[in-house]
Amino acid sequence: MADFWLEVADITQSAMDGLLYGSTYALIGIGFTLIFGVMRKVNIAFGAASLAGTYASLVAFQVLHAPAIVVFAVSVIASGVLGYVVYLTCFRFIAASNELGSLLATIGMLLFLDEVTVVSTQGMPMPYPVLFSDTMLFFGPFSLRSDLLLVFVASVVCTGILLAVIYRTRLGLATRVVSQQPVAALLCGISVPRTNATTFVLSGFLGGVAGSFIASSVGLLSPLLLIPVTLKGLVVTVIGGLGSIPGAIVAGLLVGLLENVFLYFRGVTERDIYVMLLLFIFLAVRPRGLLGRLHA
Amino acid sequence: MNRKTWIAVMAVASMLALGLADAATAAERIIKIAGFGAKSGVVRSFGVNAEAVLRAATDDINNSGGVRLGDGSIGKFQVDFFDTRCNAEEGISIVRRLASADYLIAVGPTCSNVAEPVFGILQAKVGDSSDTGLQFPIFTDGAIKGGLAKISEWSFRNVPSEDAMYKALFVWLAEKHPDAKTVFGGVEEDFAHSRFTWYSVMKERSVQAKFEVVGEAKWLLNDTNFTTQVREMKKANADIVSISSHPFTTCGVLKEMARQRVKPRVALVGLTSSSSMETLNGCAAQAEGIIIPTSFAPTNAKAQRVAELTAKYGGSADLHSTAAWENVEIIRDVIVAEKVMAKPETVQQDRRRMRDGLAKLKSTAGLMGTIARTEDREAVKPFVYATAKEGAWVVLYDPAKASALRTTGETPALAFLPQR
Repeated sequence: MADFWLEVADITQSAMDGLLYGSTYALIGIGFTLIFGVMRKVNIAFGAASLAGTYASLVAFQVLHAPAIVVFAVSVIASGVLGYVVYLTCFRFIAASNELGSLLATIGMLLFLDEVTVVSTQGMPMPYPVLFSDTMLFFGPFSLRSDLLLVFVASVVCTGILLAVIYRTRLGLATRVVSQQPVAALLCGISVPRTNATTFVLSGFLGGVAGSFIASSVGLLSPLLLIPVTLKGLVVTVIGGLGSIPGAIVAGLLVGLLENVFLYFRGVTERDIYVMLLLFIFLAVRPRGLLGRLHA
Repeated sequence: MNRKTWIAVMAVASMLALGLADAATAAERIIKIAGFGAKSGVVRSFGVNAEAVLRAATDDINNSGGVRLGDGSIGKFQVDFFDTRCNAEEGISIVRRLASADYLIAVGPTCSNVAEPVFGILQAKVGDSSDTGLQFPIFTDGAIKGGLAKISEWSFRNVPSEDAMYKALFVWLAEKHPDAKTVFGGVEEDFAHSRFTWYSVMKERSVQAKFEVVGEAKWLLNDTNFTTQVREMKKANADIVSISSHPFTTCGVLKEMARQRVKPRVALVGLTSSSSMETLNGCAAQAEGIIIPTSFAPTNAKAQRVAELTAKYGGSADLHSTAAWENVEIIRDVIVAEKVMAKPETVQQDRRRMRDGLAKLKSTAGLMGTIARTEDREAVKPFVYATAKEGAWVVLYDPAKASALRTTGETPALAFLPQR
């Protein structure tokens, strides 16, 4: 009987760990979904630009020995700038009707940014400032990582800020108009390119938050992070519902939780099979995802 | 002097200059060596370091007079390095191109997943006319997965035998800690070298040293969350934890171990590839005390010089990269012994001489001492046990030195490596 309860405690702990780690997926998913929500286009380079911005913040850490909060701020700003660069190079001058063109351009940008980070760091893992290093919160037989709790809180706060910007500001109003009726927006005097550029910068800021929190939770920054960040970001975006910000959060937490549960029961080699199966099921049975709108 | 006279004088001068250059070329021939390894992607540092050592070694030989060729003329090395991206198809394509050009021999690759298929396109048995495989010698410096050279008689390796190193390490741990009974393994499941080293080397050798393997945790190369795996490790509460993974996930696991307060009672053992600066850059504090066998440490004057020269060429000297230095010196010696000509018309003949010369070797000189050569064209290299101490790799134990000291009754001392 004692063994049974130990097993239950283990599964619960694994699920809690996964749920918390899923908050990093949620942050990335929000960035992906924001751009899709406004432009109806997928920016595959989002994860790469976020990580490149986070790499840029290493300058503040390694050269200026700045405190973690400054390093995080630099990551946010650099990722915002890179978000704008991605918009300029992959979307601004490619016709809106040429959806494949911008998609392929972002794939090219992903590879380019990845190669630049690999070459400039020789692919070496770099230490990244850690928040609450080694601080664990204990509740009876369970423990929680305080840094991941912070990521969880940060993703909720970011979502709150984002929703406030979208529903309470003129910029948000313009963004919603452009996403729903770009021609009408143009006739109302709203600059569509400027609104799109602002959305990219905003999503870049989010990417910077996500990149720095992910690097901080791992304690390292490595080009190896690119594949999981991009892949999980896309999975979360689809499962949450393309364009749905709350959906991205729910899906991020769900994917994190299921990953750990699958890992516990089926081992690491089968873990991703089930996550990808989940993606396939959503695409086939419920393409609008958990909270996406039907037209998305 | 009028214009026509000027032109005539210039023409004569040019011809003379060309003639002199030709004469110099005749006296000093070019020995073309190709290096190949990963110079892009996440394992780029392997290729960068290998190239730096290769260029440092060849320049060192060229600057000290070159190599005496079969007809008495002097040969100077020329190195071209090719990027495999740690990709098998890329490696195969590069070697096919090298074999159709005038390269004498290739040094590389850095990745085992490239070495294995590349050796497969070479002629399996020398002189087998029914085998149309490439007749091109390859002398591997980096790819460390065990037993690959037996694939072809044209493939040679100068990489440490992980089997010998971990066998000795676990025996040493058993002798040093007779109360230690259990081992827990951690393995990066999707990387050929890590898998091979855990399942075929570390696990088997620990069992042979009378340890009981009480569990194993698995993760993937790109993983970032190790909570579940480290909890398994904590439950097992083993005396020794043996981690077979590369620096990125090794650091991730070590950090999670620190968070969950998991510390093996006796020893933490790491994979050979992790005894690098990458690990110290990523997690020096958490890696403190990890023990890793390595076939390179700058413990003598020559090894220190190689480390310094490598740094000047933009690389880092470690157990993978410094094999290239030894390879170049071995190639130089075989060229002299086998009377290689390095002429365009003798390329295939020279390659065969190189192959036969390398196959004849029973031992070679290495940076850490004599390297034995095996029948299946592999190397048995001297090694030490390194450990991470205050952000640097230091030699914890030198089995050869200890053995020599035991015969004289002295106590082996710890030899510390300079901080890199």
